[in-house]
Amino acid sequence: MAKTTPLKTILTTIFVAAFGMPASAEGELSLLTWEGYADDSFIAAFEAETGCRVSATYVGSGEEIIAKMAAGGGVYDLITPASDITRLIIEAGFVEPVDISRIEQWENIYPQFRELDNIQMDGEYYAMPYTWGAIAFMYRNDAFETPPTSLAALFDPRNEGRIALWDDKSAIYVAARYNGDTNIYTLSDEQIAAAVETLIEQRPLVRRYWSTAGELVDLYVGGEVDISNTWAGYQSALIAAEGIEVTEFIPEENAEGWMDSWMIVDGSADNACTYPFLNMQLSEQGQCGVANVNGYSVANPVAARNCMTEEQFVALHQDDPAYLDALLMWQPLGDRMGAYVNAWNSVKSQ
Amino acid sequence: MTLRALDRIGMGFFLGLPILWIVLFMLVPYGVLLTYSFWIKSYPLFEPAFQFGNYLTLLNEPQYLSVIGRTLKIAVIVSVTALVLAYPFAYFLVFRLKNVTIRKVLFFGVIAPLWVSYLLRAYLWKTILGTQGVLNSTLMGLGIISEPLDIFLYSQAAMVITLTYIFIPFMVMPIYAALEKIPRNLDEASADLGQSSWTTFWRVTVPLSLPGVVAGFTLTFCLCFGDFVAAFLVGGPDGLMVANVITSQFGAALNWPLGSALAVVMLVVVLAIISLSDRFEQRTKVQF
Repeated sequence: MAKTTPLKTILTTIFVAAFGMPASAEGELSLLTWEGYADDSFIAAFEAETGCRVSATYVGSGEEIIAKMAAGGGVYDLITPASDITRLIIEAGFVEPVDISRIEQWENIYPQFRELDNIQMDGEYYAMPYTWGAIAFMYRNDAFETPPTSLAALFDPRNEGRIALWDDKSAIYVAARYNGDTNIYTLSDEQIAAAVETLIEQRPLVRRYWSTAGELVDLYVGGEVDISNTWAGYQSALIAAEGIEVTEFIPEENAEGWMDSWMIVDGSADNACTYPFLNMQLSEQGQCGVANVNGYSVANPVAARNCMTEEQFVALHQDDPAYLDALLMWQPLGDRMGAYVNAWNSVKSQ
Repeated sequence: MTLRALDRIGMGFFLGLPILWIVLFMLVPYGVLLTYSFWIKSYPLFEPAFQFGNYLTLLNEPQYLSVIGRTLKIAVIVSVTALVLAYPFAYFLVFRLKNVTIRKVLFFGVIAPLWVSYLLRAYLWKTILGTQGVLNSTLMGLGIISEPLDIFLYSQAAMVITLTYIFIPFMVMPIYAALEKIPRNLDEASADLGQSSWTTFWRVTVPLSLPGVVAGFTLTFCLCFGDFVAAFLVGGPDGLMVANVITSQFGAALNWPLGSALAVVMLVVVLAIISLSDRFEQRTKVQF
């Protein structure tokens, strides 16, 4: 072992402070994930059983995961991107294959997810499906005499100043569907331009483009808005807990769906804690753990059946594969992603 | 080793560290930023190149100029508002307030919020300006309005209020310092020469305090110009600022080259303003 001089100690301290810790030490697992995916309510037991220490860094958007990976994400072992960016992450070489023979309940995952092209390359899997849900819409019960059933409510002048919309390229998807363009993941330049026009017309009606889960909750609780899109199951529960009645709905124009999966950062398959952690997350412990914390549907309906009450099982649409099939599941946009994001920025910069 | 050699090593260390710091944490990052701005976006990430496409995009797509224009507008409004509030306040503290203790208390009253987290202060304005916030409840309690107004929050006005509140210490401090340096006997001399206190204020005090005003204005303006938290927390659908677009290029759009080009443009604007204000300050400088 090298001798430690005071100078070396000082330099190490400076560099660790400036550039962060080196990759996880033995028995440690470092996650870059969403809030709730490593909640103490089910992680604590895992840590006690395995002796692996789990530390999580939370992100606010999928793009933040990519940005952190691109800036040198070797400090993390596992990430949980949504299905629209898994393909990009694979092609950028940030992750390594998942050995599905080491995932005990792999066969129990919804076939729709196992067949997804976005999580495979050259015959190998690069992600383990974990949770899913809809980008549903939501309204405040006491604000509408006739419950809205269509996206038209978000573009209706009668709701001026009471509308919130997710500050994300998803806004383009919403406007395109409202315009009647259902091919939301393969929009042409003309269709994107039309969506931009629609959103610019809508803008004076919008109270706020929301960006975090907590913010949308505040908007409803503070009486700022009556209708918005939402991460189904998550914010509505938090709002209900504040005593405000809201209803989620899938509009006539349909809704987007998303699926989050665990991916192994390049070089972390050797971490002895990686596969035990993945197996725990796909078991009853992890699946019901996350469903109870975040209100999301889960990827393993067999585990869900075992650990959920009948009401929860139905509420999360785990009993109804048709619900999942009907959603417009997020697709990778490839080199069109910039076009979508810039179109959305151009709406906000008008 | 001779004493002199040791001395030289000590001196080298003394000067070397700050230089190393500047090179490592300022010049190198700026260089990296400039380099990235010539790279090219190429799925999945980006590739090294030397081309001006990113800068051309900034010129050709109206969204970038319009956002820069909006950011300049908000920065000017905030700086002017802060000046109009800060100058009379600093003047009152320095020239009218006789009690030194009260003067100190009031001065620290303005500076103290700097010790509170910027985010927390910006967040607080949400609770004040909201539809069910403190401002609306007060106005309704006083019977001035019957329905809560929603114009206070999620608007450019909310951003101006928040930014003015947050950056006003940077206006007060240099003006206070400039006013304090003005010798009192100049006032008396002006009065002896038969000038009214109004004339004295405009022809003696104001010109002598100009360097402080310029410094305060520059600081406030540059801080505002680069801000993205106000738009994020209290801005409305029309609140996007340049820094927010840069964030989005480094995140959602995954176009670091374009984001870098925008950051370089921003840096140039800020440097231009600083050198302008520096030149102005040199010209207005007075030796006592």
